[in-house]
Amino acid sequence: MKAILTEAVDWYVRLNDSQADAATEHEWQAWLHADSRHVEAWQRLQQLQQRLAVPSPQLAVAALQSARQGRRQALKVLGLLLGVGVVGWQGYRASPLSADYVTRVGERRRVRLADGSRLELNTDTRVDIRFNVAERLIHLQQGEILVQTGQDARPLRVQTGEGLIRALGTRFVVRQLDRATEVSVEEHAVEVQPHLATATTTRVEAGQSLTFSARQTGIVQAASNASAWTQGMLVAVDWRLDRLLGELSRYRHGYLGCAPEVAALRLSGAFSLDDDEAVLDSLQDALPITVRRRTRYWVRIEKREA
Amino acid sequence: MPTLLPDTATYAQLDTLYRNHHGWLKGWLRQRLNNSADAADLAQDTFVRVLLARTADSLREPRHYLATVARGLVIDLYRRRSLEQAYLEALALRPEQYAPSTEERVLILDSLLAIDHMLDGMGERTRGIFLAVQLDGLSYEKAAARMGVSVTTVRKHLAKALLHCLLLEEA
Repeated sequence: MKAILTEAVDWYVRLNDSQADAATEHEWQAWLHADSRHVEAWQRLQQLQQRLAVPSPQLAVAALQSARQGRRQALKVLGLLLGVGVVGWQGYRASPLSADYVTRVGERRRVRLADGSRLELNTDTRVDIRFNVAERLIHLQQGEILVQTGQDARPLRVQTGEGLIRALGTRFVVRQLDRATEVSVEEHAVEVQPHLATATTTRVEAGQSLTFSARQTGIVQAASNASAWTQGMLVAVDWRLDRLLGELSRYRHGYLGCAPEVAALRLSGAFSLDDDEAVLDSLQDALPITVRRRTRYWVRIEKREA
Repeated sequence: MPTLLPDTATYAQLDTLYRNHHGWLKGWLRQRLNNSADAADLAQDTFVRVLLARTADSLREPRHYLATVARGLVIDLYRRRSLEQAYLEALALRPEQYAPSTEERVLILDSLLAIDHMLDGMGERTRGIFLAVQLDGLSYEKAAARMGVSVTTVRKHLAKALLHCLLLEEA
């Protein structure tokens, strides 16, 4: 049967070719009907095609490639399944709690680095600075920074949990998300290299933003007000209420959430990060909601009773 | 008609096997999985496999055998989890393009697992070409450009990959 399957595959490859013409198809028909085993082989090939049909194939390919790569990497790094264990892989990313520059929740801070580069740290951020003769490395352990590069011959790169961002003479914002990094470029461009991706770097230009994980790169999109926080502002354009509250939560301690029935309310506006109580009051004016404050650290937004 | 349930003798042997080694196997799995719920599930699955294979009576080194079966299950679980995580990551990185329901996701994951098994044993280039043509639906010319190879190479590796998949079913 292997010989016949090989023939069937060869026909398939020929027919699938953009160069295939009517003559090829004729020859294939002749082959197909010459022997009932040919038909059987062809059917098996078609069943295989059906099993390969998945919705959104680009997603599928990305997942297959990156899962495979991740497993290979894990095997290499941990000697996995040979005794060490499946889990424990998160552990190796954990970093110590100390850092060169730190901001607390709600705090923002400006720093000028030795090379003249300017760094702004947003709320709850930790950064290490590693400059040597060959390169300038900024290690973002947590939080969000704006980088304005200074004049210097050495390359400047920002390292996050997921990859490296190389500045190409530029001003950009890097935010460490949960297992992903978001980079938004304001001037010039950067190049992104996820830690575990073999593919070439992705270039992000001014006005664009990109989210990436350690193995995959998302789609380059238009950036939206990524550095408004440096002005003490939060700019929302047609956001869901739960997204806005999620963003505001970064700047304050405790619980700030909402009931499910109001989570999808949409709103736009520019909000001050330094007076979140006033923001909550203004929400109450704009939306059919009520703000329930049990303590300073427990605030929940609910539907306003008529 | 063959029955799925083992006869009394086999059942007794399996019972002994279970009593003597179930606790040990769960511990063995817990060490590797760091998770007692997964360990309990896989220990159970291991005994089901042994039951279906009807090999309980012929085991000279039962723990070695159980560990071999269990190791295979750990690898399957790991494969499934890694695919699931990679798929969810891919989804998260392409916002609002496509949002399958939970049920659809389970089906997609099953398909991905099946495809992932097919990819085993393919070289990196064969795999890349196979995925580009068969899943992404690229023409040979475009696949050749993406992979940096000739169209002839694409044809050759595609044929190799397809035959590999077909022969896999036979095994």
